Amino acid sequence: MPVFHLDGQPVEFEPGEKVLSAALRAGVEVPHYCFHPGLSVVATCRMCLVDVVDMGNGRPMPKLQTSCSMDAVEGMKVETKNTKTLEAREDVMEFLLINHPLDCPICDQSGECVLQDYSFEHGTGKSEMEYAKRVYGWRDVGTFVALERNRCIHCTRCDRFTREVTGTNEFGMYNRGHELTVDTYADRPMTNKFQGNMADICPVGAITDKEFRFKRRVWRLKKTPSICTGCSTGCNVTIEYDKNEVFRLKPRENPAVNRWWMCDEGRLSYHVMNERENRIMKPRGRVQGELQPISFEQAYQALAERIAALNPGVGGALVLTDTNASNEALFMLRKLAQDGLGAEQVFCPMPDWQQPDSDFFIDSLITTDKTSNRAGARELGLTGVADTAELKTTLETNPRVVIVLGNPFEHATELREKISKTQLIVAISPLFNGWTELADVVLPGQLHSEQDATYTNKQRRVQRTHIAVQAPRQTRPEWQILAELLLALDKDAGLDSADAVLQALGQAVPTFEGLSLSRFSEAGVLLPGEANDPGRSVVDTRTAAA
Amino acid sequence: MLEETLILFRNIRNPDYDKSLKGYKKAGGLKALKQALEMQPDEIVQLTKDSGLRGRGGAGFPTGLKWSFMAKDTGKPTYLVCNADESEPGTCKDRELMLHDPHQFLEGMMISCLAIGCRHGYIYVRGEYWPSIKSLNAALQELYDDGILGKKLLGKGPKLDLTVHPGAGAYICGEETALLDSIEGKRGHPRVKPPFPAVSGFNACPTTVNNVETLTCLPFIVNEGAEAFKAFGPENNAGPHLISLSGHVNKPGVYEVRLDANLKDIIYDFGGGIPNGKQLKGVIPGGASSSVLTADEIDVTYSFDALAQAGTMMGSAAIMVFDEDTDVVKLLHRIVRFFSHESCGQCTPCREGTHWARMIIRDFLNGNGNEHKLKRLHRVGGNMMGTTVCALGDACGMPIQSFTTKFADEFRDVQALAA
Ligand SMILES: Cc1cc2nc3c(=O)[nH]c(=O)nc-3n(C[C@H](O)[C@H](O)[C@H](O)COP(=O)(O)O)c2cc1C
Ligand code: SF4
Ligand code: SF4
Ligand code: SF4
Ligand code: FES
Repeated sequence: MPVFHLDGQPVEFEPGEKVLSAALRAGVEVPHYCFHPGLSVVATCRMCLVDVVDMGNGRPMPKLQTSCSMDAVEGMKVETKNTKTLEAREDVMEFLLINHPLDCPICDQSGECVLQDYSFEHGTGKSEMEYAKRVYGWRDVGTFVALERNRCIHCTRCDRFTREVTGTNEFGMYNRGHELTVDTYADRPMTNKFQGNMADICPVGAITDKEFRFKRRVWRLKKTPSICTGCSTGCNVTIEYDKNEVFRLKPRENPAVNRWWMCDEGRLSYHVMNERENRIMKPRGRVQGELQPISFEQAYQALAERIAALNPGVGGALVLTDTNASNEALFMLRKLAQDGLGAEQVFCPMPDWQQPDSDFFIDSLITTDKTSNRAGARELGLTGVADTAELKTTLETNPRVVIVLGNPFEHATELREKISKTQLIVAISPLFNGWTELADVVLPGQLHSEQDATYTNKQRRVQRTHIAVQAPRQTRPEWQILAELLLALDKDAGLDSADAVLQALGQAVPTFEGLSLSRFSEAGVLLPGEANDPGRSVVDTRTAAA
Repeated sequence: MLEETLILFRNIRNPDYDKSLKGYKKAGGLKALKQALEMQPDEIVQLTKDSGLRGRGGAGFPTGLKWSFMAKDTGKPTYLVCNADESEPGTCKDRELMLHDPHQFLEGMMISCLAIGCRHGYIYVRGEYWPSIKSLNAALQELYDDGILGKKLLGKGPKLDLTVHPGAGAYICGEETALLDSIEGKRGHPRVKPPFPAVSGFNACPTTVNNVETLTCLPFIVNEGAEAFKAFGPENNAGPHLISLSGHVNKPGVYEVRLDANLKDIIYDFGGGIPNGKQLKGVIPGGASSSVLTADEIDVTYSFDALAQAGTMMGSAAIMVFDEDTDVVKLLHRIVRFFSHESCGQCTPCREGTHWARMIIRDFLNGNGNEHKLKRLHRVGGNMMGTTVCALGDACGMPIQSFTTKFADEFRDVQALAA
């Protein structure tokens, strides 16, 4: 790769790459506002000015250049910290601050505000603006974000976002010169499904997330990388939390999955991570018709006895799961079914789903498959059921033991009614649902924000989560519950960590071969071979919208 | 006594001239276009290069060279867009050409279209110029009716269409890339360069933007040759030039000059001197954005290079003269108010600086100025220069810096008077 010099350090660049993006990639922070890697270059904030002391031909550029719009050239020498650039940056900061309210104490961006950061580093405090500052009224611009125009620094990122990223053109620049401002058109609030990203890319507190506003100062938040499990795309996110309470999800850049974006619905999915009312806090067992708290050990012992007595075998056991469970949980469930119960199949719902296609990448994120691990279930060879009628023959054998992981066939009341007559029903889930109501034994699982686990997205990319918040004390990860059940049934698999389970999965299912949690790329791992999901169809949202 | 040169104004100065197509042909028009049709595009470009023609829109960039930058073999159409947005304060020369001799300008435009292989040219006319728009449309109708424009240029050449596109009255849409945005139906915001229009301009196709007067020089150059054109000025400052003379002169107006005339002679011979026997205080030599010259500095050749050497510029060749009684603080306020109103607002220094400067000058007008504010005004002007996407930041910074330097005492006096 060709090389140029940045403050004396060699930096590699792709041909055609701009100085700023190459610098950022190399970890050199050049202050900037209007540049965003996901948007076109406008070079208007003038914050990223650098001094090109040698254009690669021995000659300097006479004027400072905006590094966001300047092509990197072999042999070029660029200074980002000499007196000339520092002074120019101070001057730009002075201009930016004369009309800024500087209401940091009541601004939600405070702590992650690029203006605040830079004014600390590059401001001189020499600005004394003795004239009235620009003032705009408050506007309701959307369901998901709030706009405080007085804080706007006119970087036009938001404007470019609705033009270039969502293509919805709902937001734009109004007026000109000193009166330039941002707003929605024709007083209409925005309706695009990705508004939260505008709060992310707004470098200041002009556009903020309505959900998060005023809830927590950002410097108190701890951050853990994870994924969104709201649909089969599995957008990469960061879970942000404080005192074991999750406050928000932020997209985490992954060029191969979600780029810099995520949808608003996915953002709202943090609510379930804080769910307490509907959360199963302890194992429960049915005693004289009533579900009573018991310990895991009591549950396992009782189950071992009952299962031995019922001796299910082929036709005697029915194992159901949804496709939200992790790869590890699904693998252990398959093991339990085969080794522990003698069942041949594990059934899961696999309705047809649609992948949107349009001129705008971001539209392709939201799939109609609202589960996080359908592709994993397919890799593991679970039996997909598009319609519960397909279970009819299986039910004719009158199974004596039913194991349900998660909340599959959520709306199939008829199926549930039939199964309710079974001698033994075990439900494993972090949340109460229709199955836990029927169950004789309920075992409390954990959410993906509480465990180290992997999920396989629609592209067959295996992506991992980490423990962000602590799960309630008497809950366990599903893989562990299933491993312990196997042990109770005298079929110990000897797997005592999520990583061990994943490695065992790799031995059993060739496409997963070699995967291990201890060395797992945060960008995920694409499984070898072809994606081949007959339930998938592509809908062209261009024609669908028309 | 300085005499007017009559090349571009040859017909306009003729009181009997009939500006219709018939009249234009009678006066020898369209000869150059016929000749250009016999030439290869490269030959026209080379001829224009040889003539030394420099753009009349403000930047003085060599026209032939600009044409030679047009991206070749892109598989896309190429465009010539004529900048008739003429909005630089004090400038009114293009209007004369469009109103009173539209065919000469259109012939120049057609020749230029041949040179760069353009099949559909646009003329972006300042929104307030309704009479010019009417005049151009009438002239275009004649050209279409006569079979000159349309499927075959002059009945035998390539297809050529020309369209008049009225602006909506924004000064910034005279900046060539904002102009292109405006024709495309967007907000007129100058684009970051590179890419230059020659690579990616109108609808992302190779495009040249030229001023009306620049294009109007072409018929003469084709008819009379490069050397004849060069003869109207010193080395590197070729051709006759239209100036818009205004302010405190007895005979304001648009005049055609050689580029070796002296600014003083222009003011006193063409302009007939300062009214009411007053003394000259200063001259803005090239539109509101050029640095001001004091009365002592006007003995200078009115050419691109000589003016640059004198620390100012030819710009749009709008010469504004002001006499001894002029309040320069008010004058600067008026200029800065204009730029602050016309800034598109996307660049931080221009958006904030033009307004801030205006507020500081207003303080002086209200008697609230002081030495500190004078310094700050000067600094704010400087900080807008060379740091923006288009030249409007510089355009506002130059008058601020030159006025506060050359007339610093007057700012202090305003202060003293008010006190
Ligand atoms: C703020 C601004 C306003 C401008 N306004 C005009 C204008 O009204 N007319 C014009 O011909 N050029 C104007 N220009 C210059 C054009 O950008 C461009 O340089 C010119 O049209 C090129 O034509 P030329 O090469 O024939 O001079 C302006 C430039 C700037 C920065
Ligand atoms: S609202 Fe935010 S993103 Fe939009 S222009 Fe203002 S500062 Fe930039
Ligand atoms: S597109 Fe899907 S995975 Fe991405 S944020 Fe939305 S719901 Fe979550
Ligand atoms: S310099 Fe001023 S007018 Fe020109 S692009 Fe920047 S803000 Fe707009
Ligand atoms: S980041 Fe380069 S000008 Fe804004």
